[in-house]
Amino acid sequence: MESRKRTAPTTLSVMTEQSFTPPLTGEEMMAANPYRPWSARITSITPLTEKETLFEMRIIDDRVREAFHHHPGQFVCVSIFGVGEVPISISSSPSKSGFIEICVRRAGEVTTALHNMQCGDIVGLRGPYGTPFPFEEMKGHDVLLVAGGLGIAPLRSLINNIHDQRSEFEKVTIVYGAKTPGEIMFRQQFEQWSHRPDFDFYLTIDKPHPDWTGHVGMVTEAFKTLEVDADNTYGAICGPPVMYRFVVEEMAKKGISYDRIFMSFERHMKCGMGRCGHCQIGHQYVCLDGPVFNYWEAKNIQGSM
Amino acid sequence: MLYRVIDTDELSSLIRGFMDDYEFIAPVKADRGYVFEVVDDPSKVELDYVTTITSPKKYFLPSEEVLMRYSAEENEITDYSVDIKPRVIFGVHPCDINALNRLDLVYKDAPYPDPYYIKRRENTLIIGMSCMPGPNCFCNLFGTDEARMGADMFMQKIGDKYIISLSSVEASSTLERYCNPQRATDEDRKEFRRATREREAAFNKDIPHVQEIAMMMDVFHRDEFWTELGNRCQSCSACASVCPTCFCFDIFDRLDPDGKNGSRIRSWDACTSPEFALVAGGHNFRGDNRRRVRHRFYHKLNGFTGSHDYQLCVGCGRCVTACKANINPIEVLKFFDRKGAEQDGE
Ligand SMILES: Cc1cc2nc3c(=O)[nH]c(=O)nc-3n(C[C@H](O)[C@H](O)[C@H](O)COP(=O)(O)OP(=O)(O)OC[C@H]3O[C@@H](n4cnc5c(N)ncnc54)[C@H](O)[C@@H]3O)c2cc1C
Ligand code: SF4
Ligand code: SF4
Ligand code: FES
Repeated sequence: MESRKRTAPTTLSVMTEQSFTPPLTGEEMMAANPYRPWSARITSITPLTEKETLFEMRIIDDRVREAFHHHPGQFVCVSIFGVGEVPISISSSPSKSGFIEICVRRAGEVTTALHNMQCGDIVGLRGPYGTPFPFEEMKGHDVLLVAGGLGIAPLRSLINNIHDQRSEFEKVTIVYGAKTPGEIMFRQQFEQWSHRPDFDFYLTIDKPHPDWTGHVGMVTEAFKTLEVDADNTYGAICGPPVMYRFVVEEMAKKGISYDRIFMSFERHMKCGMGRCGHCQIGHQYVCLDGPVFNYWEAKNIQGSM
Repeated sequence: MLYRVIDTDELSSLIRGFMDDYEFIAPVKADRGYVFEVVDDPSKVELDYVTTITSPKKYFLPSEEVLMRYSAEENEITDYSVDIKPRVIFGVHPCDINALNRLDLVYKDAPYPDPYYIKRRENTLIIGMSCMPGPNCFCNLFGTDEARMGADMFMQKIGDKYIISLSSVEASSTLERYCNPQRATDEDRKEFRRATREREAAFNKDIPHVQEIAMMMDVFHRDEFWTELGNRCQSCSACASVCPTCFCFDIFDRLDPDGKNGSRIRSWDACTSPEFALVAGGHNFRGDNRRRVRHRFYHKLNGFTGSHDYQLCVGCGRCVTACKANINPIEVLKFFDRKGAEQDGE
């Protein structure tokens, strides 16, 4: 056999500046280095509640921006260098192209730093990640969407996407619960919609409040009066961990098939790509196999609910 | 597979050959046992070892590494180059080779391949070496007692010879240049079979094989056993550090002292650490040691098979020594073996 002596140890480079010239497709973009955030500019900031703010962002590089396509239910990892990186659901509909909106609660270090930023500031974005809601599959059916608290952030992407293609869907029912009237997000939009004939809106707050004349009670209260065409309905749930068990049960009681009840899970996340292990439940990665799971899948994951 | 035979006294020449051309890593004797280290003196290489304290994992996934450098002022990346040296890791046992194959499933053959790991893997030759099991070895139970793939070359000691299976041309050419490899004879193959049988017979028979472990783990998910292990666990994560297949990590930012630039860093993390599943707002999805220890074993022995079709324990026995609370897969296997026997009414 011919000798192929290699030169004494040299230094190789995992990646050069060159390999990072933005490639054309989303896959190529990821292949270069999936950990690399891309610069995005904050183009608008809308305070929603005391703790939550809506940020609109635009990826700066043209080719990366054009390659970026998301589906309702997916998330991005948002970086502020020197502070850290956090997973945040995309709150805007894919039909709003060129920009993405995220709705962020001030919860800790990174989310606070984000709240301190101004219009025009730069953040890092990578993604989109995760398994989305089955938007195409839902077409031609009734949809029943239930959100609690911050759960409205990812569901809003689905809601707005359905809105933009409203004729493709049958009956659309949205149940949204917040603790207090002040914590209702996108209140104006939803109050307007509650008068529309093509959306059944059920807005509720946990406890009676002087400024509130609408429904009071948990989101499960809505199910007492809801009429559900079980064979023709897709359900989607997003909210705090305690909410799932109760809402799922209500949906199942109405007769919706387990594989048509979808929910989005939240777990600690670091990588977003099925590797760091933080989001693991049972044999699944919430970041990769989820965050959206159907009830059947969730039941089969040890420790999911 | 191509097989060649060399004499044991050709070994030092082979080692020297690899040393000339690569950064050379091999087991050496340290205070408390054997460790993989960079070696430049062939006489320091210790091939007669049962296990090393830590595994070669560290040469592919350093305990801490910089993913990228950035300017915090501009909030932009400034550098993403990483230095990687062509290396040889010499004398790797089958369990550790199989552990690397498992890591490949997560870092290489994955939806988002990891360029840092892959570059290191591509530039490292793995030279495998046969071994005899110690009392804590149970690789035979997971089929990881043989390295059917994942080594550039594997050396089985047969008397005063090595029979070598050759996978990569790169390793083969070094062998050709520095040794005088011969074709294997019938006598060599006979010796090979004898050595394999001898190894097989030497495994600790007190460690049970639990065929139906996946089902058992699901059924006994709430058993007191886990509370008992949880109560003993010190959350030190020594088990994960020494484990050749534990691959979880944390990512965090570290600013330079000037506050202007910084590094995004990846470091080893472990599901046995209390904050591992903690989210903002204070909810912890695995809030006690019982849940954390159980998750570690669930994922090793059951969960990973659900996603990747292999168990994530290769039976190297390192955590058996490392865990001062005596929490380890052998205990878990014995527990499920007992439970099974109870159910059978024995
Ligand atoms: C799929 C997904 C979608 C999400 N969508 C939204 C959203 O639309 N809006 C929103 O406000 N929040 C969302 N979150 C929660 C958000 O990620 C956390 O609030 C955020 O990580 C807190 O980071 P911090 O640095 O401000 O807090 P700290 O408490 O300082 O967090 C430290 C680190 O822990 C990790 N971490 C802590 N909490 C969480 C968490 N809940 N989820 C994941 N990682 C966490 C992060 O890596 C974070 O950097 C989402 C979480 C997930 C998993
Ligand atoms: S199982 Fe043992 S080694 Fe692992 S964290 Fe607990 S005490 Fe430490
Ligand atoms: S769990 Fe223990 S015995 Fe199994 S591979 Fe890891 S360190 Fe080795
Ligand atoms: S966030 Fe890292 S594996 Fe899911």
